[in-house]
Amino acid sequence: MRKERFVIGQVLGHCRVLAKIGEGGMGVVYRAHDEVLHRDVALKVVKKDARLDSSAGQNLLLEARASSSLAHPNICTIHEVGETDGELYIVMEFIEGKSLHDMIGDTGLPPESVLRYGVQIASALSRAHDRGIVHRDLKAANIVITSDGLVKVLDFGLARRVRGPVLDGATRSFETAQDSSTLSGTVSYMPPEVLRGEAVDYRSDLWALGVVLYEAASGRLPFEGRTGFEIGSAIMHQQPKPLGPPVPPGLWATIQRCLAKEPSQRYQRASEVQAALETVQSAAIVSADSGPDRNIGPRTTVLHGVRHVRVKRGDFLLLVGTTKGAFFLRSNAQCSRWEVGGPYFHGHAVYAMAYDGRGGQHRIWASTHSYWGTLLRSSDDFGKSWTNPREAPIRFPADSGVCLKNIWQITPGPPDEPSVLYCGVEPAALFETRDSGETWSLVRGLFDHPHRPRWMPGNGGLALHTILLDPSEKQRIYVAISAGGVYRTEDGGCTWTAQNRGIRVVFMPGKFPEFGQCVHKIAMHPSRPGRLFLQNHWGLYRSDNRAEDWTDIANEVPSDFGFALVMHPKNPECAYIIPVESDEFRCACEGRLRVYRTRNAGASWEPLTRGLPQKGAYETVLRDAMTADSLDPVGIYFGTRSGQLFGSRDEGKSWQKLLEGLPAIVCVKTAFVEDASAGSAVTLPRASVAATVRSKSGATTKSRRTRIKKR
Amino acid sequence: MPVTFHIPGPLRQFTGGHSKVEIERSPTTLADALSALWSLHPGLRDRIANELGQVREHINIFIGDTDVRYTGGMTSPIQAGSEISIVPAISGG
Repeated sequence: MRKERFVIGQVLGHCRVLAKIGEGGMGVVYRAHDEVLHRDVALKVVKKDARLDSSAGQNLLLEARASSSLAHPNICTIHEVGETDGELYIVMEFIEGKSLHDMIGDTGLPPESVLRYGVQIASALSRAHDRGIVHRDLKAANIVITSDGLVKVLDFGLARRVRGPVLDGATRSFETAQDSSTLSGTVSYMPPEVLRGEAVDYRSDLWALGVVLYEAASGRLPFEGRTGFEIGSAIMHQQPKPLGPPVPPGLWATIQRCLAKEPSQRYQRASEVQAALETVQSAAIVSADSGPDRNIGPRTTVLHGVRHVRVKRGDFLLLVGTTKGAFFLRSNAQCSRWEVGGPYFHGHAVYAMAYDGRGGQHRIWASTHSYWGTLLRSSDDFGKSWTNPREAPIRFPADSGVCLKNIWQITPGPPDEPSVLYCGVEPAALFETRDSGETWSLVRGLFDHPHRPRWMPGNGGLALHTILLDPSEKQRIYVAISAGGVYRTEDGGCTWTAQNRGIRVVFMPGKFPEFGQCVHKIAMHPSRPGRLFLQNHWGLYRSDNRAEDWTDIANEVPSDFGFALVMHPKNPECAYIIPVESDEFRCACEGRLRVYRTRNAGASWEPLTRGLPQKGAYETVLRDAMTADSLDPVGIYFGTRSGQLFGSRDEGKSWQKLLEGLPAIVCVKTAFVEDASAGSAVTLPRASVAATVRSKSGATTKSRRTRIKKR
Repeated sequence: MPVTFHIPGPLRQFTGGHSKVEIERSPTTLADALSALWSLHPGLRDRIANELGQVREHINIFIGDTDVRYTGGMTSPIQAGSEISIVPAISGG
């Protein structure tokens, strides 16, 4: 056994050593009594063999002295630093309590406690950072909670000059340097920039704070592995598993931002983290599950008095969102008619709907907007019951300073990631879920974009209304914002660039700004994802180079003002628009309801009018109120603000009114209900609406055997 | 005396169907009273208030017959026995 440098009863300075209370990689800690000031203190003596480099001893002394200036209720006070017989010693506040590490347990702490401790830790970091001191070894073992709930952060500034990854706790972290668990435990708090060997700054402490909060909230570390290498790999490449209830979304959002891989994407100050946690804390309750009557209130709502459609495999659905509720139209070839279900969400505006058949599910998503806020809901039984979340699943984090007004777009993620979805919302922002909608997080890379403060609301508000995922490159996503323009990410949402070169604006002095365009809709062809079409607030454009440049293609159209735009799902040369007369008179040109189609990528456009009213039809078709199906031949559908729903099953040659008398239509989507678990179209009933055939291009498509009949 | 909240019909799904909710503890401000209401019936919070803790734009809250907009909003004083009504505003389209 190594001989102790100090023995019980010995006096060092004016402190009498009372007992050894611990030993770490850097030194031995004693309980001592200050015989001048009559108080107990912790006395840390740094080991001579503590792997300090040649100059580190002096630096450590200087830093310990700097740290001693950190008078803060949540920082363990350093009373005195000195040197005796070539050994450094530090006299610090003696704290009685338990380490946060010991308190957390297997399931974590209640959210109220996490917030209460988190605010204090952030406050301590804020003070230190303001003094230019970075902790560098913040971890649950370095945080002590006193019996009255006061947080004390230990070891400020003491870790900096110790070589290698094994850093020591001063008074409560007593593992030995040789203990591999210590190594793993410390690596778990290291940010990616440390693992990359890059410069460290105060934002590294904010990463560690995120790890501590995650650990405290869940009882587990966000990045785990059996070895330090595995942990490091997880830190570099993986996202932490989302934290759902009882962890409040605001707390989870705060943690996520602390754990951004790039320091620039994190909070930039500890005071920001503190403010975010305080805002979550100040919410009247921290969790929907924390009330005593937490079982009161439905998780799902069964809608009574609503006519439901009876959906079978092979059926085709139109999902119609209106300003006063949603409707389903089911096509049944056997009956040769449309069956109508609804209204769902009576009186609520439904601006976004989507069908998600990935992973064997048959889920319909809808956003609802009313007096009572905006909610995202889903149904797995074609509308018979809907989720009715107690807590709004999409909500801006507490520190954002904004609140959700509406959800404009719901976009399922890649086919092989059925738990991933995106939502575009107002005010303009993108939300993402990776657990099938249980928890949603704000895509901070876009929200924190320096352009965002200069985006301007259009007539419909400042909305992110379109999300396009590139099927050839999973990390590439396009969004369209009115009025902000087109933005693209190449790294899955971490960073975004404005992609508006060539798109004109008419409401700003400069006609071709970098951003700020009022883009009404963009569309991409899945077989040629580098090609996009764009309907602007005045202007019709195409890009063939992933939105690097846009070319005006408003050739032979009565107006280049409009909202709706869809692409032919099989022909990348073909797109459909419905022009409106002008910004001031947003109605079909000359009172003639005409769909325009190009079959040569915009070189020319042809009107499609057969079956559409051509006199006194002052109709408006909004940006999400037109859609195409994937059948063969392709069907095109659109709804008007006057509540009429039109459809064409022959690619636009002829049209039929499917339904009228609806509230103003704001959203039309399609769904082909096949057995997704089989991975292809199912064997259909004899007279079914669709059958699987091989198209000329070789793609598997569903052919249409029957024609639509007016209901 | 308890403080009583009057719950509008669309929100009674979150109060077990009850049109009145009594708060036994003694809130001193509207914020205190709402906090107690959220604790009893969590589903009400996000229907009545937004993420910033503000009462939604088209919802009015009355203490007795007085709109709290004229009595200090969230800091409006609550007396023992106060009756608080949550009422959707007149708006539409």
